[in-house]
Amino acid sequence: MSMQAINMTINGEKIQALVEPRTHLGDFLRDNQRLTGTHLGCEHGVCGACTVLIEGVPSRACIAYAVACDGQQVRTIEGFEEDEVMAQLRTAFSRFHALQCGFCTPGMLISARDVVLRCPTADAHEVRVQMSGNLCRCTGYQGIINAIVSVIESRRAANADRVEPVATAARAPLPSFQAVANQASAAASVAPATASPTAAAATPSDTANKKPGTRIEDAFEVDHPIDVVWEAFADMPKVAACLPGAEITEHTPTSIKGKISTKFGPMRAAFVGSAALERNAATHAGSIRGAGTDSLSNSRARGDITYALSDAGNGRTRVAVAIEYSLQGPLAQFSRGGLVKEFVKKMVADFAANLNARLGAGSSASGAPGEAVAAPAGAAPMSPMDAAGVFWRWMVSTIKSWF
Amino acid sequence: MKAAAFEYQKPTELSAVVSALRASNGEAKLFGGGQSLGPMLNLRLARPKKILDVSTLPALKVIEDLGTAWRIGGGVTHAMLEDRVLVGCEPLAQVARGIAYRAIRNRGTVGGSLAHADPAADWPLTMPALGATIVIAGVSGERRVAAESFMTAAFGTALAEDEIIAAVEVPKISADARWGYWKFCRKTGEFPEASAAVLLDPQRKVARVWIGALNGAPQSLNALAVDIAQRGFLAISDLSVSQALEPVLGKIDAAQRRLHQTAVRRAVQLATA
Ligand SMILES: Cc1cc2nc3c(=O)[nH]c(=O)nc-3n(C[C@H](O)[C@H](O)[C@H](O)COP(=O)(O)OP(=O)(O)OC[C@H]3O[C@@H](n4cnc5c(N)ncnc54)[C@H](O)[C@@H]3O)c2cc1C
Ligand code: FES
Ligand code: FES
Repeated sequence: MSMQAINMTINGEKIQALVEPRTHLGDFLRDNQRLTGTHLGCEHGVCGACTVLIEGVPSRACIAYAVACDGQQVRTIEGFEEDEVMAQLRTAFSRFHALQCGFCTPGMLISARDVVLRCPTADAHEVRVQMSGNLCRCTGYQGIINAIVSVIESRRAANADRVEPVATAARAPLPSFQAVANQASAAASVAPATASPTAAAATPSDTANKKPGTRIEDAFEVDHPIDVVWEAFADMPKVAACLPGAEITEHTPTSIKGKISTKFGPMRAAFVGSAALERNAATHAGSIRGAGTDSLSNSRARGDITYALSDAGNGRTRVAVAIEYSLQGPLAQFSRGGLVKEFVKKMVADFAANLNARLGAGSSASGAPGEAVAAPAGAAPMSPMDAAGVFWRWMVSTIKSWF
Repeated sequence: MKAAAFEYQKPTELSAVVSALRASNGEAKLFGGGQSLGPMLNLRLARPKKILDVSTLPALKVIEDLGTAWRIGGGVTHAMLEDRVLVGCEPLAQVARGIAYRAIRNRGTVGGSLAHADPAADWPLTMPALGATIVIAGVSGERRVAAESFMTAAFGTALAEDEIIAAVEVPKISADARWGYWKFCRKTGEFPEASAAVLLDPQRKVARVWIGALNGAPQSLNALAVDIAQRGFLAISDLSVSQALEPVLGKIDAAQRRLHQTAVRRAVQLATA
């Protein structure tokens, strides 16, 4: 692993060290500099236990990287021996029982010192708001707030530097006016094309969560008779060939194994999994129940998809889908339910548009197929069968594996 | 909770950043404040080969008065905007102080927030509501995109992999313009469950109502905005708000719907009071 040389001033002392770029400042301080007063709780910016001063201002040491602090000043809880405000806070913290186990205390003190200096007129409510980024599992916060407020008040009394809140003048009433609708920003140039064809009949809805997991229901129509669509949906490998990132490694009429690689903003995942297939020709309904794991993020997903085809008249077929999925592991922590839902919805809409276009017969809902269904290089021109399958392969992978 | 290995580079010129981005073929990530990227690196949800640190790049730190607008560098932190009230762009300071916590605001940047494009984040909602323009730099120069069309989806933007947000230009509002902003957060500083921004500027004939914390990009409620301009808070009723929200929200559960409705109502209330 390539190491990089850095210089830093920690608590007034110049140091030099070799670090791996991925080492965060919290680990560097604790493991390399033996400054174990900086605590690590969540390591993703939420709890505040690791709060230190970088270049004089409170910062999370867990999401700052030591290499990026090259040439900068860092001050940890060990570096406040001589600090007047910190001395007042230490006394107040013990007097008001502002700590129990002490795990949160270094971060609390560093944030509190910033509040005392930056918000000299703060009242208890304001202190609470300002301290909301530091979590404590023991005290219930009251002692902490009391301690900080007491320091603010005693400093105010001592310095008599009280700043009266500025009285806000009453505003003139808002006049009624005729707004110009749809004002685009004057300076804007061409907006980039967004690949989001809206599917003609896609009406996403989600109903009550009966089981754990998120449920999405969707439906759209295809310009082909039910039997053709039904057959097309059975052809897994061809479906897979139409989806970027999807691969089927094994398949039988009742099961599939495969992988889907996907990108969601800055996140990448490659889920490997398998699913059981069921089809009922009599009712034109089927299900796919699967599970998969992304070994990179160590996230697990499970998904059940049920679909039902019905005759929509005039040689058209209505496809109704219900997807229920759950996601566990780090990826779940990051992707709030709604985001995944939106992603799935967009894919369904893209597919519906594309399916119609590829089946060729009628006029498609949207000319431009979305990027989500662009065929990978080397794929043969799709027959109607393939296209219908796109839908399926996509659902299988995304739902089963991804989430 | 430790990031996977990555290479680290800290270019000192904007031009060097964009050429490094181009050369990396999508394998490099910009590091603005690291306040969204850091957690994802630690959780190993993001595993870029290379990090290009722009956190101290001087060109991105500039706040400049352009006369009718403020140009805010992509690397300007939330805290910088919180501490400096820009005349004509007062809403920025107001929004900034409600983002996360001070320790996050000290490092998190406007450009990073817009590029990250979390649907519930504050700048992706505020910038289109203020009619801002995103200035994007790439190897072949600058291009400009209206904030309202910049964010295309959850975590999706108009940005190409080899581009950087150089700045945001925020037009100044008139002295008597009104701004209303409301977020429902489970806990102070957390991402909201519902959010709304309202700008009423009679002098410039501008009325905008935007809502955020949706499943995708923030959305504008244009007809409602025009109605509010004419009738003020009288334009707001349970019916008018739910009608305006209907096409945007689709079918969501009643409690969530209520939160969005109330966020709009309160933002309008703040703007019209
Ligand atoms: C605990 C916590 C709570 C938070 N709460 C909120 C909240 O309530 N509201 C809110 O809005 N945000 C919130 N945030 C997010 C915070 O505002 C981040 O600062 C912001 O989203 C990302 O900015 P950054 O500069 O840190 O970007 P980074 O994390 O460095 O980067 C984010 C993404 O943007 C890219 N990027 C960075 N800079 C640029 C640029 N100039 N041009 C192009 N791409 C760029 C990166 O490559 C990366 O993909 C919270 C964060 C944390 C950790
Ligand atoms: S350990 Fe850094 S914020 Fe929790
Ligand atoms: S004292 Fe134990 S976590 Fe705060």
